[in-house]
Formats: sequence, structure tokens, C-alpha cells
Amino acid sequence: MAVAARVAGVLLTAFFFGLTFEGIGRKVTARIQKRYGPPWYQNFIDVLKTLTKHGWTHGWIFDFGVVMALGGVIATLTFVPLGNFVAFPGLDNFFVIVYLFTVGALGMAMGMVGTGNPWASIGVARALTLMLGYEVPYLIVITSLLYNFKTSNISTIVEIQSVNGWNIFRFPIGALVAFICLQGMLGKEPFEAPIAPAEIASGPMVELSAKYMGLLMLMNTFMEFVEISIFVDLFLGGGNYFEFLLKYLTVWIFAIMISAVLPRFRIEQAVYFYWTVPLLLAFIQVFLVVAGM
Amino acid sequence: MQNILLVAIIGSVAGYLLSLFYRRLGPIILLLISLYAFAMLWEIPSNTAENFLGYDVLYLTTLGKYFALLSLIVFSAYAIFNIVWIETLKTPHAFNALSILTLAGTLGVFFTTNLVVLYIFWELTVFASLFIVPMSKSEAKRAAVWYVTITAIGSFAFLFATFLLYSKFYTFDLVEISRNLSQLPKPTIWLVVCSMLTAGIAKSGVFPLHVWLRNVHGKAPDTFSAVLSGQLVKMGSYLIALLLSIFPVTTLFPHFYGGVNILSYILIWLGNVSILVGTLMAIKQNDMKMLIAFSTVANSGYILIGLALLDQVGFAGGLFHVFNHAIAATMIFLSFAAVVYRTGTTKIDELGGLIHRMPVTFITYLVGIISLAGIPPTSGFISKWMIFQSLVSRGMFVTEIFVFVGSIGSFLYVFRPLAGVFLGQLKSKYKDVREVPIIMQIPMILLVLVTVFFGVFPGQVLEFIVGAQKEFGIDAFQYEGTKLITSMGYWDTWIVFVMFAVGFLIAAVLYLITPKGKKIPLEDQYTSGEFLHNFDLYHYASRFYAFLEREYGDHPSLENLYASLVNALKSLGKGIDYLVSRTASAYVFWLGVILLLLWKGW
Repeated sequence: MAVAARVAGVLLTAFFFGLTFEGIGRKVTARIQKRYGPPWYQNFIDVLKTLTKHGWTHGWIFDFGVVMALGGVIATLTFVPLGNFVAFPGLDNFFVIVYLFTVGALGMAMGMVGTGNPWASIGVARALTLMLGYEVPYLIVITSLLYNFKTSNISTIVEIQSVNGWNIFRFPIGALVAFICLQGMLGKEPFEAPIAPAEIASGPMVELSAKYMGLLMLMNTFMEFVEISIFVDLFLGGGNYFEFLLKYLTVWIFAIMISAVLPRFRIEQAVYFYWTVPLLLAFIQVFLVVAGM
Repeated sequence: MQNILLVAIIGSVAGYLLSLFYRRLGPIILLLISLYAFAMLWEIPSNTAENFLGYDVLYLTTLGKYFALLSLIVFSAYAIFNIVWIETLKTPHAFNALSILTLAGTLGVFFTTNLVVLYIFWELTVFASLFIVPMSKSEAKRAAVWYVTITAIGSFAFLFATFLLYSKFYTFDLVEISRNLSQLPKPTIWLVVCSMLTAGIAKSGVFPLHVWLRNVHGKAPDTFSAVLSGQLVKMGSYLIALLLSIFPVTTLFPHFYGGVNILSYILIWLGNVSILVGTLMAIKQNDMKMLIAFSTVANSGYILIGLALLDQVGFAGGLFHVFNHAIAATMIFLSFAAVVYRTGTTKIDELGGLIHRMPVTFITYLVGIISLAGIPPTSGFISKWMIFQSLVSRGMFVTEIFVFVGSIGSFLYVFRPLAGVFLGQLKSKYKDVREVPIIMQIPMILLVLVTVFFGVFPGQVLEFIVGAQKEFGIDAFQYEGTKLITSMGYWDTWIVFVMFAVGFLIAAVLYLITPKGKKIPLEDQYTSGEFLHNFDLYHYASRFYAFLEREYGDHPSLENLYASLVNALKSLGKGIDYLVSRTASAYVFWLGVILLLLWKGW
């Protein structure tokens, strides 16, 4: 029963704090752009409102894709450690989380392309290409950490950091690369080509309405929660539950501030960028780790 | 084992004769032989020696048993599917006979450690499958030539090494040879091991001998592509696994990096290049069968990397990947065969929206690609996870780049047929397409269940793998029930599956309690304000990753290099032809040569 309570704890945290932080993020963006911005609870209103409306569907694969997207991300989320708060101690294997994560992404891609709208296909093709860009330097950096600590359990790395100090100070180059990749994972500018609203009509989201939109907004919130949580756990020392949330908020605001002021890369520019600068930095990091520095 | 082989060989003749009367009997006989062989083989304990036609040559290793059982699963699915599909062929009797002969040949390869017997069965397989390749398309004759040429490079190298070893040790028995191999001088060991591995590399489609896969997989009869990719290519992996584990490779070759010896390291690099070439080429294919052919190149690379690591986790991962890729490739090619059966084309951009007409085929393809891309809860993830863990624990970061590119790249290329063939707008000319007959659906559904079952309960497969590891003195992979353990941490397939179900349940409940959506037709779309008359064109399928393809558009191609070699040989032949022909200029040429020789005083 304790496991069920912990799982519920993780999911509710992601729901309440994820949406709250997104609201705060919108406020920060607005202030940077000299607007007033919506209230911090605007995202709760959005989700609840969309979930109560009647929508349109393009067939069973669209419905199934939406359920698979949300279900896959919820399943991933339960394995992610929030600082020292872990639902399944010992089972938070990095590769399992990364690959479980793709179930949700595949569900969304499939459902959206299932609408039959080419804008959605273009958006998904771009998203996958971007993924090819950021995952390679990201995985190289993270695996250099795993190699260094001889474990692929995220919570073990969190524990080691509580003794040895944060990894961001021990592996500053790696942290920088991981943060650049995080920006791509979140789909924030300058790596925003997959959803580019003015260019390809919001890409995958083009045919979404009402509750489908609401469910995918939830999914997006959870995805962001997984991505940032892994970064915080691996580089910022995790800490206890409240420290973790504070660090989370800091990273999130930082990412939002960068995205508020930058324009958008074309997709091949983004891939080219990821495979040059961050990949090179990642290998400098690897060299330092292997050389024991 | 002798009985199984004899039944298969005799069954081949029976299959031919019976399908002269009724063509559907052939696949039924293949199915019966496969099931009989499976039942018999399951009972035979490993490390059993047996006579074959009075010669003491058959020997069943755990490794061979694992591969043989896997092949039989693939062949059974193929046989059931063929019962209906056979009607599309012009020469069903020959097809049936050769299919059964292919099965006999591959089983023979897995049942022996005698090099000459292995070679004979190997060539029997190549011979049988060679004539199946051009059976449905006339342009596949060239593909068959590619196939036999590349395979011949491997098998002749193998034969050369076999006789070289015989001249030293006077035996063909691999176990006995491997015991004494270290007595040979170093260059001879290199020569022997590399020549023998060449056969495996050529057959499993690893760089630089991968060029036959595109044309052969792409143009072979649709269901036979499933056997080619799911089973025949695995014969190469079997040979590599057998040789690497039976020879004392770790003591014969010096240590190089991260606990890996130099031979393994070279093989790992071949695997790396295969992954890169396979992935990048697969991304730009418009023919769905050729796309998966290149994906086979990439996956053979994964298998090679896993096997070459020769350790507790990596070797087990490589062997598990053989299972996963065999099943996944069979599923994918069978679903393509179903699509071609109904629509008659393999071009991705000529199709679209088939999910609304062929849902079972779609689900087979979907589960197949989920396993191929290595996404839990299917079995494909387990093997990738094992290979990753092994690479990370050794700190092989450069290899990791290729492995990760291959892994993420596989999401890209498997999505292309998914979006182009099954999703998107339904083309108006395929409005009346129906799902394939129930007999074709049966093997597809069974394979889906197999993939998901072994993804959640991998115990039975791991038992064989651990048996094979123990047999060759490699540390056995650790697992307790559904919990897979490595030095870098563990995970539990069952708990992941349960959480998966819980996540789905939460999402489904949320979906069900919210107001129901209204169904609208596919033509009811956001079209940027345009009024469209032809929705066939409102489908994004050709040059799906154009922005990425552009970046490596002008890459060097081995296929072209080999083709130009062929051309050079041809023109050399023409030149010689010209010089021996009775023309005036040839006459003058030879006269000149003779005069020159005379003048020089020879």
C-alpha cells in the first residue's frame, strides 16, 4: 500500500506543481515581454475547461494515441525520483526511464498523424529529427556520469551527491550540455521548430480540440516534469522534497527566460548545432571523466 | 536430430509433389514439419551427439538449440501466412519445396559443430533460398546474383579456412580444433578466424558486405523477406556467436580497450559502421521493404556489438537481440506482405490511411516497430538495455554514439511507413480495400502476443542464453524471475508492465469520464483556409525527412563502388574477348607481341 501512496504522491506533485510552475512560467515570459500576463493558476483553468467540452475525433487511432500518450507518460513519471522521494527504490534505472518516456511520445505522434493532417506529420517528422539531435550529446554526457559512479540508478547518484556535493560543480561542462539538450527536450526556443505555431500551424497539435487538447496539455506538463526532474536529480543534488521543488522551479524559470528572448532555429540547423558544439563538449566531459579529473 | 533433418529433406520432395495437386498443401506441410521439429527439439537435451546417415557428425549445443527453436517459430508463422498468400505465385510447387529445403538447411547448420557438414548445410540453405528470391518479380534476378555473390565471398573464405585447419589438425570438428588453435602461429590464427567470420559477416549483412540486403529483401517474394530478415540473416549471427565463443578469443588476441580484445574491437567497429549506414540509409528509403532491409543492417550491427563484447551482459544482450529482431522483422515483413497482398505496391508515398481498412495489420506493424525500436514493454527493449549497460560499464563512449544514433534513428525510420502507409489520408483508390483473410491474421496476432509476453516474462529466453553462456565458460547473466540484474543496477519487467497498465488505466478513465468526442470524416481538416478538391494529395509521405536527408545527400556508396568493380571486370573481359577474336587489329596486336618477344631474344 505504501507503494501506491508514493505513486499517488509523485503523480499529484507533478499535477499540482507542474501546472503551477507552468503558470508562473507564463507570467515570467509576459513580464520579460512587458505584458501583464495571465494569473499563475491559468493552466488549471485551461485544463479543466478543455476537459469539460465536447470535441471532434478522427477515428479510433486518434483516441487511442491520446490515451497511450498520457498513459505512457504517467507510467514513466512513477519511476522518476523527486529528490530523495522515490516511488520504486532501486528501479529508477536511467535507460528504463528514457525508453519508457518514448512510449508517450510515440502515442502522441501516432494519434496526431492519425488525424490525417499533413501539418501534424511535418511536426512529428521535425520532432523526431530534433530528438536525433539532442539525444546523442545528452546520452553521452549522462552515461559518462553513470560510468563515473558505476551505477545507472538515478537515486543512487542523488545519494552520492548529498555526500560529495552537487554534480554541477564537479561536471560543469556536462551540466551545460545537459541543459542545452534539456531546452530541446522541452521544445522551447531556440529548438521550437516541431510546434512552430506561425509556420506549420502548431504542428502535431493542429487538429486537437476540447478534451483531447486537455489530455495532451496534461501529458505535456508531465513530460516537462520528467525531463527537468532528471536534470535536477543528476546535477543539482536532488535534496529532500521541498529543496527539490525549489531547484526544479529555478531550472524551469531559467529555461523559460532563455526561451522568451530567443528566435527559432531551422530544424537542420538545430541538429547541426547539437552534433557539433554540445557533442564536442560532451566528449571533453567524457575525456575528463575517463582521465579521472 | 537426424529424424528432424530427414523429415525436412523428404518433406521437401513431398511438398513439391503434393502442391502439384493442390498448392495450399505445401505451406501446410511446412507448418507440420516445423511443429514436429519444434516438439522433437524441445525434448532433446543440449550437448547431445548423434549420427547422421551413419556418420558421427551431429552435435546440439544450447546455442544451436536456441537458434533452431527461434527459426522454427519464424518458419511456422511464415507457413501459416503462406497458406493463403501462395495463390499469388506462379510457381507454388517449387516455392514450397525450396522453402522446406531452406528450413532443412538452416536446421542442419544449427545441429552440427563439424565444419564440413556445417558448410554443406550452409550452401544447401543458400542454394534453396537463392531460387526463391526471383520468384515473384522478374527484376529480382539481379538481386539474386547480388545475394549469391556476396554470400559466396563468405562461404569460400569459410571453406578455405576449413581446409587450412584440416591440413594442420586432420579434423573437421570445431570443438577439437578450438582446443589446439593456440598452437598455430599468430598470422595463421588471424587468417583462419577472420576468414571464418567473413561468412557470418556476409550472411548477417554487416558492413562492408551489407550491400545485398537492400535488393534481396526488397525484391524477394513478400513473405520470404520475413524469412530472409528474420531467420537467414540470423544464421550469420549464429556463426559469429559460435566462433567467438568456442574459440578462446580472449586469450588468443591481445587486450585492447575497456576489457575488450583487439579482434572484438574490430568487430565492434564493423558493427558501429553497420548501424550508422543502416540507419541513415533506412531514413531515406521510399520503398518500405528496402527501408526495413536497411534496418536489418543496423540491427545486425547491434547483434555483432553485443556478441563481440563476449561478457556477462553484452553477449547475453546480443543473443537476446537475435530473438527480438527475428520476431520483430517477421512481424513487420508479414504486415507488409499483407499490405502488398491487398494494394499491390510497396512504395510508401503511393499508400496512406490503411489503418481504417486493415487494423490487425496495423497493430502487427505497430507492435513490431515498438519492439524494433526497443521500447518497453516489448522484448526489444530488454536486449538494447543489456547492450547499453555493458557498453556504459566499460566506458566505450565512441561506440555509444553509434548505438544511440541507431537507437534514436530507428524511431525515425520506423515512423515513416507508419505515417505514410497506415496513417494519414486514405487514398481514394484504396477506399474498398479490406483486411486480409483470417488465416493471414493468425500468425500476425500470435507474433504480437509472443513479443509482448517475452517482454514481460523474458525468463524462458534468458534460460537458453544463460545455458549458452555457461556452455562456453562466459559468466552467466543474472536474473531472478522478471528481475534483470547487472553490476550497474537492475530493473523489473513485471513492475514496469504493471505501472504501464496503471498509467493506461488512469488515462483511459480520464478519457472516459470526459465528454465524448464527435466523429468527423478524414476530409474535415484544417487546410490553412484552402478549399481542397483532392484529399489524396493532402498526405505527407514522400521525402518525409527531406530536411535531414539533405544533410547527407552526397554520401559515398559501397554499392556503387562494387558496381564499378563489376563494370571494370566486365570491360576487362571485353578487352580480352576483343584480343582473342579474329579481327585484323587483334591479329596485328598479337603479331606485334610475338615480334617484340622475338626481338628481345626469348
